[in-house]
Amino acid sequence: MNNSDILIIGAGVAGIEASLLLADTGKKVYLVEKASLIGGNVIKYEDVFSNLECSTCMIAPKQQEVLQSENIELLTLSTIEKVQGEIGDFTVTINKKARYVSLVDCIGCGMCYEPCPVSLKNEFEQNLSEKKAIYVPCPGSLPNVPAIDPEHCLQLNGKKTCNACVEACAFGAINLSDKDEKIEIKVGAIIVASGFDIIDPAGFPQYGYGKHPNVYTAMEAERLYASNGPTEGEITLRKGDAPPKSIAIIQCVGREQQGYCSSVCCMYSLKLAHYLKHKLPDAKIYNFHSDWCMPGKHYQKFHRDVKEEGVNFIYSPVDKIKVEGNDKSLLIEYFNGKNEKEKLSADMVILSLAMIQGKDTASLSKLLGIEQDTKGFFMNQSIQLGSVDTSKPGIFLAGCAEGPKDIQGSITQAEAAVGKVMSYFQ
Amino acid sequence: MSDRIGVYVCECGPNIADKVDIKRILTEISDLNEPPEKIIIAKKHKLLCSKEGQDFLAGEIIENELTHLVIAACSPRDHDITFMNVCKRTDLNPYLYKLVNIREHCAWIIPDKDEATEKAIQYIRAGISRVTYQSPLTEKELDSIPDVLVIGAGIAGIEASLSLAGEKRKVYLVEKTSSIGGNVTRFEKILPHQGTNLDIIQEKIKTVQENENIKVFTETEVEKAIGFFGNFEITLKNIQDEEQKKEFKVGAIVVATGFNLFNPEKIPRYGYGKIEDIYTSMEIEESNSKTGKILLKSGKPPKSAALIHCVGREEKGYCSRVCCNYMFKIAQYLKEKTPAIKITEFYQDLCLPNKADQEFYVDTKNKGVDFICFKDIAVKQKDKDKFIEYTKMDGKKEKISAEMIILAPAIEPAVGSKDIAELLNISLDETGFFQEAHQKLNPIATSIDGVFIVGSAQNPKNIPDSMMDAQAVGGKILTQLIPGVKLVPEVIISEISDAFCTGCQTCLSVCSYGAIYFDEDRNISVVNEAICRGCGNCVASCPSGAAHAKHFTSLQIYQEVLEAIR
Repeated sequence: MNNSDILIIGAGVAGIEASLLLADTGKKVYLVEKASLIGGNVIKYEDVFSNLECSTCMIAPKQQEVLQSENIELLTLSTIEKVQGEIGDFTVTINKKARYVSLVDCIGCGMCYEPCPVSLKNEFEQNLSEKKAIYVPCPGSLPNVPAIDPEHCLQLNGKKTCNACVEACAFGAINLSDKDEKIEIKVGAIIVASGFDIIDPAGFPQYGYGKHPNVYTAMEAERLYASNGPTEGEITLRKGDAPPKSIAIIQCVGREQQGYCSSVCCMYSLKLAHYLKHKLPDAKIYNFHSDWCMPGKHYQKFHRDVKEEGVNFIYSPVDKIKVEGNDKSLLIEYFNGKNEKEKLSADMVILSLAMIQGKDTASLSKLLGIEQDTKGFFMNQSIQLGSVDTSKPGIFLAGCAEGPKDIQGSITQAEAAVGKVMSYFQ
Repeated sequence: MSDRIGVYVCECGPNIADKVDIKRILTEISDLNEPPEKIIIAKKHKLLCSKEGQDFLAGEIIENELTHLVIAACSPRDHDITFMNVCKRTDLNPYLYKLVNIREHCAWIIPDKDEATEKAIQYIRAGISRVTYQSPLTEKELDSIPDVLVIGAGIAGIEASLSLAGEKRKVYLVEKTSSIGGNVTRFEKILPHQGTNLDIIQEKIKTVQENENIKVFTETEVEKAIGFFGNFEITLKNIQDEEQKKEFKVGAIVVATGFNLFNPEKIPRYGYGKIEDIYTSMEIEESNSKTGKILLKSGKPPKSAALIHCVGREEKGYCSRVCCNYMFKIAQYLKEKTPAIKITEFYQDLCLPNKADQEFYVDTKNKGVDFICFKDIAVKQKDKDKFIEYTKMDGKKEKISAEMIILAPAIEPAVGSKDIAELLNISLDETGFFQEAHQKLNPIATSIDGVFIVGSAQNPKNIPDSMMDAQAVGGKILTQLIPGVKLVPEVIISEISDAFCTGCQTCLSVCSYGAIYFDEDRNISVVNEAICRGCGNCVASCPSGAAHAKHFTSLQIYQEVLEAIR
């Protein structure tokens, strides 16, 4: 039995790249994504480092291609439930949650949101804004078709009779009796591109996240700057009427605990500093860093450019930094390069947090029968030579599921995984 | 025959229907009828992108024998392809259709219904005007050759060859030196787990040599490479005997030319080449791998060593990415040989981007290696002693002596990169490495279709990342260049009129794809249709108006604008 259909788990930038390359050859690709939209984390960024290209403009054509490809069967709101078999002959059971909105009939006009009486925190926006129980996570989501949150929809959770969205839809695209499905597929190979998560800042009380409202994660700052984000790109504070006049970015939060450098934080922290200088030219921007990790040929130039924009770089070990203060003002205690204690006040603090393995890594590794490394990411079979192979033939890795990477690294690894698949089925 | 133009307005549910007066649009558009030259059929539909809507359109095209189709609906980003596919279902050439966006451009942004309607009418008239000047275009198919030329037989070139070679695909692996393996064969061990290098590399080299689908040419250079994706004509020449040539065709080219090391003599403060017992990291690697020893010139093992990172980093303007890790490795070599040795590593930033790097650093530190972060550094000699004078991050100046000094010079683009770039018509960026097609989304491709860059030819890389590139090129080529499958080049491309071209060659200098060549005999520029991507650079720069972009001709745009601003 040699089935040449492919399963790709995760529709971030790595999963999308792999799907498109394989679909181009006429192979059938099942692209399974747990969220209601595709694009992964890349679509959360306004610009990418270091060329500052608009991120959504860059990735949207690829997302469109996925949606239009005849060879890609996209399964959103879907997770893997069972995997059996071996290379050339895997049987996979997929749990596909009901979307309640037809991907075929909906045209994405958005008329259904307003009448929905339920308001919820929008996790895609790092809870910085609200969404309705029928929602797309942000403007520009692809597929541009909303989903209904069955736990909070009044009709679906049985709390009340409500038909507001159904009535508002001019296309009869909403079906509240939609059911979760189990789908069984047969594939010859699997590419795991399930991505990463960010370490929980609650584990680092010394930096004040959760205690002081104006301490933010870098991802929150990304969404604040994003033109399709919760503030449409305005840098506002959780507490306070005016935009911040001074902002401190603290790098390497969680690095020591995780035992590795996340390799992208220096660059995205520089990008955040650039964003803030651009939006708030008079604000003072401080960047607390230790060693700069700038492994790309253009990265050092970007570092220099951002410095020239007037960002203050402060060399300071992250483990000795403390953030105190109140709702209005934050006080950063740190040790400078001369190992002297200093203090600096700021209106806003941004934490650049370590990248960690995706939430589903442990469960997926069990389902797929592949190993994790000591850091929690999926283990590649040769750390010396570089590899997309897992401990199981026919299952390959791509992107941050294997370890922290930038977009370029994720794309390359996705192409390498496709290379392996193609060699096998050649 | 008269033009029979079908104009179909989509209601898009209430999205368009509620915001513009479709009835008025249809009346005014129907009034543009000028039989018998121009017959206009104007109708509406509730949702043209739906399956039912598409069937309706296909039926209309056939039934009304339409010669042109104008659809007034949403953004081309949403449904241009949908409606082109409808045209393809019928006999209507898809380039004789035009999508006019009256949703995002009118209905959704203009609150006043009359105003929105008027703008929509104007846009539709512009669309009708344009479509009648459009020409049918057809896709072409080209035969392709699945074989691949790989330039450079270092670890990236070797791995690329192994990923690509197969029963139906030959690989020509060209190496300018006399042996294959590249820089990696000069190392004793591979990072980060200190496994012995030679076994793994020798195994790969052996597999390449035994693979009957890989033809290896050593002491050979590429003399000529002409053509396009799927069909490059290659001439190789033997470096020793220039008369000895080899010609063949390939479908793709992989550049794996690797790197060179920055020469530390260029920065006198490191004392390299002047003071005894100062070595580059590569010299230490070679000594260790050949003799198993790392000794001073006196023949004695060093009692102290200083390892200086970042030599040439400021001068080159980038971090070379791999040096930190290999300097830890060298420190461990020295510790293994002489456990009592005092080792100090001088660094600026520790760059540890791979997930196992930090562990390796901690391990090295735990073996008793000192690390000092410096601002400035210089090597000085007094009598027979060598000193490292340095300024620490806190501004304090200090000095230590060391018997042996090992420098980590920056990684530079390989010598000859410029020639290869010229030969293949690809670009180098400001760092001197080959420029990728897109920094983020297409890092191993170049601006020339079918020419790829892998390993340190693109950016300083360690072995795993070079291997990853090499496997990625497998992913690219094995999916794009399939034996027996024809290639379909871009349809919307430029063309240069023989009659108008004055032979000034401005277009050649602005073409990023090398798609234009100059015909000396006829004294005109000619577009190679297989390579052109239709960017329009040549059209905009042609002083004599000889270059046209198909589907975006001046006439088409003029006629469209004329109606739009009427």
